[in-house]
Amino acid sequence: MSENQVITDGKSLDDLSGRYLSFYVDDTFYGIELLHVTEIISVQPITFVPSLPSYIKGIINLRGKVVPVIDVRLKFGQEERPYDDKTCVIVVLVENMQVGLIVDSVAEVVSIHDGESNNLPELGRNGERYLSSISKVEDRSILNIDCNKFFQSDLQLY
Amino acid sequence: MLSKTNLMKLKVIAMAIDPSMEPMLETFIYESNTLLEQLDEILLESEKSKSLSEDHINEIFRIMHTIKGSSAMMEFNGVSTLAHAVEDVFFILRENPDRLTSVTEALFDVVLEASDFLKSEVESVQESGEANKDASGMIAELKRLASIMRGTASDAEPSGAASSTASAPASSSEPAAPPAAAGRHRVKVFFEEGCQMENIRAFMLLSQLQDLCDELESVPAHPENDASLCSEIIKNGFLIDFKPSTSVDDVLHTIESAVNIKTYELLEDAQPNAEAAPPEPAKDAPSSPNAKASSPAPAAAPASGGGKAKQSLISVNQAKLDQLMDLVGELVTTESMVVGNSDLKGLQLDNFQKSARELRKLTDELQDVVMSMRMVPISGLFQRMNRIVRDMCKKLDKQVDLVTEGGDTEIDKTINEAIGDPFMHMVRNAMDHAIEMPDERKAIGKPERGKITLSANNIGGEIVITIADDGCGLDPEKLLKKARENGILSKPESEYTDKEIFNLIMLPGFSTNQEVTEFSGRGVGMDVVRKNIEKVGGTLSIDSKRGQGTTFTIKIPLTLAIVDGMELAVGDSIYTLPINSIKQSFKISDDRQIILDTDGTEMILLRGECFPLIRLHRLFGISTEVTELYDGIVIQIENNDKIACIFADELLGEQQVVVKPFPSFLNKYELKKLGLSGCSILGDGSISLILDANNLLNML
Repeated sequence: MSENQVITDGKSLDDLSGRYLSFYVDDTFYGIELLHVTEIISVQPITFVPSLPSYIKGIINLRGKVVPVIDVRLKFGQEERPYDDKTCVIVVLVENMQVGLIVDSVAEVVSIHDGESNNLPELGRNGERYLSSISKVEDRSILNIDCNKFFQSDLQLY
Repeated sequence: MLSKTNLMKLKVIAMAIDPSMEPMLETFIYESNTLLEQLDEILLESEKSKSLSEDHINEIFRIMHTIKGSSAMMEFNGVSTLAHAVEDVFFILRENPDRLTSVTEALFDVVLEASDFLKSEVESVQESGEANKDASGMIAELKRLASIMRGTASDAEPSGAASSTASAPASSSEPAAPPAAAGRHRVKVFFEEGCQMENIRAFMLLSQLQDLCDELESVPAHPENDASLCSEIIKNGFLIDFKPSTSVDDVLHTIESAVNIKTYELLEDAQPNAEAAPPEPAKDAPSSPNAKASSPAPAAAPASGGGKAKQSLISVNQAKLDQLMDLVGELVTTESMVVGNSDLKGLQLDNFQKSARELRKLTDELQDVVMSMRMVPISGLFQRMNRIVRDMCKKLDKQVDLVTEGGDTEIDKTINEAIGDPFMHMVRNAMDHAIEMPDERKAIGKPERGKITLSANNIGGEIVITIADDGCGLDPEKLLKKARENGILSKPESEYTDKEIFNLIMLPGFSTNQEVTEFSGRGVGMDVVRKNIEKVGGTLSIDSKRGQGTTFTIKIPLTLAIVDGMELAVGDSIYTLPINSIKQSFKISDDRQIILDTDGTEMILLRGECFPLIRLHRLFGISTEVTELYDGIVIQIENNDKIACIFADELLGEQQVVVKPFPSFLNKYELKKLGLSGCSILGDGSISLILDANNLLNML
């Protein structure tokens, strides 16, 4: 997440391709393309909205804008856990709509170059549904979320 | 509008210096669109009555003249030649309206076609900044009509006379033969050397002076038409002969302040002389002042009439209006933040309260004004439908009358725009599918002419718009069959009521029409119509009688923006109920007030009447400690035909809230059906959901 790293990468700040915001959900290291991310905020009071799927926790007030928030744990079918000061909301822009993703904690911005990503091996429950690739950064594996796949069921009308 | 035209022409000069012509383009587009809409309105009205009144002829002439002028300025030559051709035709008509009879139908067709062409050109200007389609076919047709009209008149004029005379802005009525009355003045103007485009500058000057003068002529007469006049103007100067409406000084002052003028001199009071060389007066004296008043832009009429009534209308960028609206919304929120600030709790602040009330009054008023600025009458929308009906009548060989009621009902501009397309779609559907062919209609004993009725009404905070046709009506069996084929039925067919069946056509996936006709069935179904209407907080319902017709009813909130609401607490959530749907609220104190229906529905007995009860915490699945009716509060809500009670934990107080739609991400969950119309941000930054009494009641 640190800006320094972004600059030392030698690319201009505007060029977001190949950059991923990494975050943790349940000790797993995920990445989401920085292109989609508009901001990161701490957890805010969430207003419950009836009759939504349980993973859509409700709506928040983002400086006067009403933004729905999704709990990534629940979306992945994992146990809910109480939010703490590390819990963050990553606000992403999909199809011109702002959506908040609640994650356990945000780590940093990493650059992933072509050739560093592998296609998905056979994965368990969520693999094929939400991920695009797996990359090795330093000695950690990072699971890259495919935004289109991730939101597919939400963007489909009916 | 005139001064705007002038402004625009002024900017043309600026363009030669500054290539950015963006604002000018905007003005051009706005002005042309407004004028073309007016034109359509006049044409359709006249076509119906099969005649053109003198006023209408003048009006059309004026519209075409303005468009010709402004498009020529913008160098959209296709547009301007076409406008010119139409102008020519109407010039002949102006001279002699009787000649209309020889060409009536063809004329309306070609002028409407021309209007469409111009509209599409303006649109392409808007999109790409270019307009270069070819209009020669229409121009030829117009020329042909013009020659027919000229031919039928015994005193045929030399061709060309019409065009040259018609193209002058204000001098289209020739100077009267007798010497001009006292009060005419003559000024000779010299432009700065090397300023270029002297002819345009001269024309600009004339346009500027139009406001100030009752009569205005110049030598050369039509400087804008001929660049070769530049040298003449440079050599001899530009001669202006005018009769000021107020004082000579005003006019001279304007000339003085105009750009690039080197010198000017006031000559002796003008006398008609050979130099002016007036052609044969083309018309008799009495009609000339009349024609004069109507030939410039509309604002000119009052301006030259009294010289005092200046412009009272300005056009504003809509983005600014939206911004203003947003700001007022913020202001209202902030106001309640200040007045309801928790720091003030428990303090006795008489003077503060007094000032706060004053502030509230002002913000209310401000809000009303801002709101009213955004309101437009719905008649414009109806008008467009007129055109569609006319065109489709011709194409489909059907006979349909369009009846409109309540066109002066005002709705928010955003809503007006949002329902434009759905409206068109529904009218097209009615024309294409509902209304039968004339002989069919005759056979089943209906009047040959079909009827489509558009009506708008303001009923209790809602605008109710209906589109009714007297066509064949919807066939429930056919609809069911189609729904079955498309697999969108959700329960056994026998359980569907007629109303539910009609609602099927609004489901996505229903309209999978294979046949694509020119007018409807393009795959844009009623579901899209419904979506568009719901986007602005409206609802769509259908009623139909087999063989008698179909009625679509659109209900739309008067404004989207701000409502007076009552805040209710349910568990940890806060809900806002619009005050205008609340009848009363009360506490339950007596067991006997609660009645259980046979199926377990709770009813509240109030003064001998029973009302169904909606428990919000149950409806929305919210956990709360207040589940006993004695502990909470019961609020009675009503709409036009139903009354019910809702149960909440407690009332938190009244507040004005700015309605925000739910994020579009949540659209698929159809929260509206659940009785939630949107959300709003409260003074403390938290969000409350806004209840929609109508939908709550409809769920019962």
